[in-house]
Amino acid sequence: MPLLEIKNLTKKYNADTLALSDVNLTINEGEFVSVIGPSGAGKSTLLRCINRMIEASSGYILFDGVNVSTLSKNELRNLRTKIGMIFQHYNLVDRLSVIENILHGRLGYKNTFEGIFGIYNEEEKKSAFKIIEILGLKEQVYKRCDQLSGGQKQRVGIGRALIQKPRLMLCDEPIASLDPNASKIIMDHLRNISSKMGITCLVNLHQVNVALKYSDRIIGINSSKVVFDGAPSEMTSDIVYSIYGSEAEELDIDIGGRNAS
Amino acid sequence: MQMEETLNTAWEEPSNDISNDERPMSIRKISKASIVMNATLLFLAIVSIYAFFTFDYKNVNLIEAFSSTFYNLKIVFLEPHLKHFSVHETIWQLIVTLGLTVLTTLIGSVIALFFGLFAAQNLSTKLASNIIKAVVAFIRAVPTVLWVLIFAVAAGLGSVAAVIGITFHTIGYLIKAFSESFEELDKGVIEALKGSGANWWQIVFQAVIPSCASYLISWTFLRFEINFTYAILMGAAAGAGGIGFDLYMAGGHYFDLREVGFITYIILAVALVLEVISTRMKVKLSGFD
Ligand SMILES: Nc1ncnc2c1ncn2[C@@H]1O[C@H](COP(=O)(O)OP(=O)(O)OP(=O)(O)O)[C@@H](O)[C@H]1O
Ligand SMILES: [Mg+2]
Repeated sequence: MPLLEIKNLTKKYNADTLALSDVNLTINEGEFVSVIGPSGAGKSTLLRCINRMIEASSGYILFDGVNVSTLSKNELRNLRTKIGMIFQHYNLVDRLSVIENILHGRLGYKNTFEGIFGIYNEEEKKSAFKIIEILGLKEQVYKRCDQLSGGQKQRVGIGRALIQKPRLMLCDEPIASLDPNASKIIMDHLRNISSKMGITCLVNLHQVNVALKYSDRIIGINSSKVVFDGAPSEMTSDIVYSIYGSEAEELDIDIGGRNAS
Repeated sequence: MQMEETLNTAWEEPSNDISNDERPMSIRKISKASIVMNATLLFLAIVSIYAFFTFDYKNVNLIEAFSSTFYNLKIVFLEPHLKHFSVHETIWQLIVTLGLTVLTTLIGSVIALFFGLFAAQNLSTKLASNIIKAVVAFIRAVPTVLWVLIFAVAAGLGSVAAVIGITFHTIGYLIKAFSESFEELDKGVIEALKGSGANWWQIVFQAVIPSCASYLISWTFLRFEINFTYAILMGAAAGAGGIGFDLYMAGGHYFDLREVGFITYIILAVALVLEVISTRMKVKLSGFD
């Protein structure tokens, strides 16, 4: 059953920057989908159009059968609580503790007063601690986030998204600032979220190898257009070339290492 | 490869390169601005020297004048005493002055916090931000003392005009400082919370203010120190009472230099304490504890 349907999505920032042109995608519940493509292809734009952090120029998006583009302000807030977001630079409030940052994921469910004063109920706190345990952050619960390593910060980012009880996770280059070890931990967590919790993941990636290893499906974008949409097993070096163009040579991709999970 | 070649050619053939020039190389670029700057400095130096030679000194004996100035300073700082005011009266007046300072800083910072949010471009609309910033620029351009005098027209000279006037300038000052701190905030943090469905007020109190807290407190405390000075000044100039008025009476009415000295020491002590507190607070807040 499709969770997300994107139809004829086009985004023009201004007269001469076309970031997305006529994108059509259908993403099923529970799928782990990677989006790859060269810098400036429109990957971040695609992700942000889905929860309307960026307004599309034309076309429409159906999330769980609901047209996203016609939602009122309150309905949009409601929609966003169902969509978690993870960023390259983590985007945590550095001066607050791990637990406080994770609980921020609940703000969308709260009224203004509770949100301002950070009033969370027992159930929310309990699930925050459970998520912290799953993510292996038990020792850091009360640590300020500026004292964490990159990998730990990203796990806090995942925790903040998870506590929203989302149906979809949008991850914009979650491992672009991390070393291989930390990258693997983060990707394994994301993969688990998808296969064990049934949360759909849409992940922008720079590394083709990683996409091949973890995804159920890969979408290749080149200069605003979807040029590939298929399983990792269908990926060939010709296709990599068509996605990355002349950049492909520098990527040094090992197609053989695919589908390890 | 290609890049290397282009680099090489650029290196070997410095056709119109500066280093080929026969003139001695200068590190500073000679620009129109630096010429104007130097000419201005030279002109001011000449005027100053000329002025010293052509002052009308009347019958002042310079040596005598200097020595009596030092004599007066010696009385002020080495022989302080209290005569016209009692100690507890002076302390009470000091509390009045501090009260004036706390009141103006507190009211000013709360109002400035609110408007500062709407003046920050990343939290507000462009229109609102520009309007507030323009008004603030005007408020700040008029000195605090002038605001007190302006409000004195309506409220009469005294503590009310002083409070309103100092508060007014404090608001302008802190709106600028606060909104600039808010604008420094990483926009990704705001995006993350907005993306999870948080509303504007929640983002402000859960992300913006916690992130900027140390800046906000530093700026407020800096303004507290400034307002302490103004509270003393207004005590004397606008009749707002407090230690400033005592200072004015001691100096301008009783001509008691020793009493002026004593009051100066009290003010100095308070200023010192404020300085220590603010330094401590900054260290604590910036997380080096
Ligand atoms: N706010 C903006 N205003 C104008 N143009 C923009 C804006 N954001 C992105 N663009 C342009 O839209 C195009 C797509 O940008 P986008 O950020 O989606 O690329 P990307 O695939 O995420 O690239 P990267 O891999 O470098 O993150 C680029 O040409 C970019 O310059
Ligand atoms: Mg991007």
